Amino acid sequence: MIQFENVSLEYTTDQYALRNVSFILPDGSFTFLTGHSGAGKSSLLKLIARLEKPTAGDIIIDGIDLSRVKPRQEHKLRQQMGLVFQDNQLLDDRSVFDNVALPLIIGGYRYSEIKTRVKAALKRVGLGHRAYDEPLSLSGGEQQRVGIARAVVAKPRLLLADEPTGNLDADISAEIMQLLMQFSASGVSVLVATHDTGLLDTFDFPRIQLHQGKLVDVHAGAPRNRTRAQFTSGEFA
Amino acid sequence: MAIESGKSAKRPRPPSATRNPNPTAHQNTVGAHTTLAMSDSDARQSKAWTYSRRGYALAQSFRQLRRRKLASLSTLLVFGITLALPALIFFTANSLAALGNRSVGEESITAYLTMQTLDLDGAALAQRLQSQPGIKATRYVSRDEALALFNAQTQINQAVELLGENPLPGAIIVYPDTSALNESAIAQLASQLDQLTAVERVQFDLRWVKRLQAVLNLGRTIGWVLAGFLTLTALLVIGNTMRLELLRRQNELEVSRLLGASRSFLNRPILYAGAVYGFIGGVLACGIALLALNGLRDPTAELSALYSGGFELLLPTVSQLLMVVAGATILGLAGAIVTLCQPKTQFLQNRRTGI
Repeated sequence: MIQFENVSLEYTTDQYALRNVSFILPDGSFTFLTGHSGAGKSSLLKLIARLEKPTAGDIIIDGIDLSRVKPRQEHKLRQQMGLVFQDNQLLDDRSVFDNVALPLIIGGYRYSEIKTRVKAALKRVGLGHRAYDEPLSLSGGEQQRVGIARAVVAKPRLLLADEPTGNLDADISAEIMQLLMQFSASGVSVLVATHDTGLLDTFDFPRIQLHQGKLVDVHAGAPRNRTRAQFTSGEFA
Repeated sequence: MAIESGKSAKRPRPPSATRNPNPTAHQNTVGAHTTLAMSDSDARQSKAWTYSRRGYALAQSFRQLRRRKLASLSTLLVFGITLALPALIFFTANSLAALGNRSVGEESITAYLTMQTLDLDGAALAQRLQSQPGIKATRYVSRDEALALFNAQTQINQAVELLGENPLPGAIIVYPDTSALNESAIAQLASQLDQLTAVERVQFDLRWVKRLQAVLNLGRTIGWVLAGFLTLTALLVIGNTMRLELLRRQNELEVSRLLGASRSFLNRPILYAGAVYGFIGGVLACGIALLALNGLRDPTAELSALYSGGFELLLPTVSQLLMVVAGATILGLAGAIVTLCQPKTQFLQNRRTGI
């Protein structure tokens, strides 16, 4: 569960990225984070990933108050999250397999398990046959799927995606969303930051809308999605 | 979600996660990719060590060397050549020290005895002096032997014969002990000899030895200062290389950090790269120094022969070579540490981009 309590992020005096944002996201939920560019979506994701620290308020993830996490333990927190980026952030000088293996190498897994998990993750995103190709030889959609495989290979409980379909056309975007939904269905909490209205119209999931750093609206999503994600509007603060 | 520390943070490793003997078996149906995938996969089987944290860091270090062969070679050559002179000085230090000691060691103090001293007494005195501290050896030169030597070395033996008797006194040649040899000790020994009743006069001359030693000391000092500067230069070369390495790997570092890499995981490849550069640079420096030493040996031997000296440049021992390689490796590591400790590179690793 992710809980924001009156969280503010102030970069300079009177220049707020986020202001008094409060909400609760239950385990296994699939939620959109929407808003125009500069609304504070990326800042919110950075706060969750502990890449930024709030200037006010509390962030609690699975009962852990992030303000109590020591700097030397922040990387362990991130190891338990999966991050998907708009530009997929793949390392071009190594194979798809090695890109997906990176979180497991960082986590100190044995080679046998790395191999098993990477192959399973690539198979799950439909790229088992491209394991030893270079990322640049893949299409944009395939690269993003590799990014997703890398994000989920360590079996995180939380998946943060920042504009994961930003560079993709509608059909590929739908594929990517289906993949993220699959992971959500398997119990992973997914938070997708996007300003793609077409995507929001197609997938009627709960959403948090930000505007100029403030939480301006919440939408509970279609009932079936609420049920599956165990998400209720009442859990918004 | 729980934040644990140490090894307990690692997820449980199910026993089912065993190594697949044919990891590409599922790829055999994908047409054009099959052959490439299989061969690459087979190659990767032998590189399992690169998937451990330390193995990954080491593999990344070597990967950078391989990917930028020319740039890496240039850097290594600069590093090797820069370190070659300090290595050469280190290798020749023992030979030069031996030259200084031998020059002093071959010096002697001559105590001329009174004309009344008999040969037996002179020989006994020489024997007695030999057992004293600070004296390595003595040799008694009788009056007859002195005359014979004199006649052999000069052309005025007829003049001596006219005198009717041997005008030369007996003498004791004293060789000081080189282990405790210094100017004041020699002077003190000469003074002690001079006080003996059988001794008429003491003669010694260490001026040229002192001059040689002064020249050697100056040369040694200049050598070490130069070596210090060159070592500092090597450190800066490595530091700069590591800084460029950090810049080149900025994207990888940022991605790794976002994926949960610890500070040590991020720093390790740079530290390993520094050590690898240092090690290879040290080996190159040894090679260059050995070549130079080999080239200098013959001219040095010829020069030494002209001065009737037995000086020769000795080849370094295995331990000396290992010391140079170890020193260069430490230098490379130090360069990497200095780079990582710089505020600007810390900033590089703390950049929060990606999301």
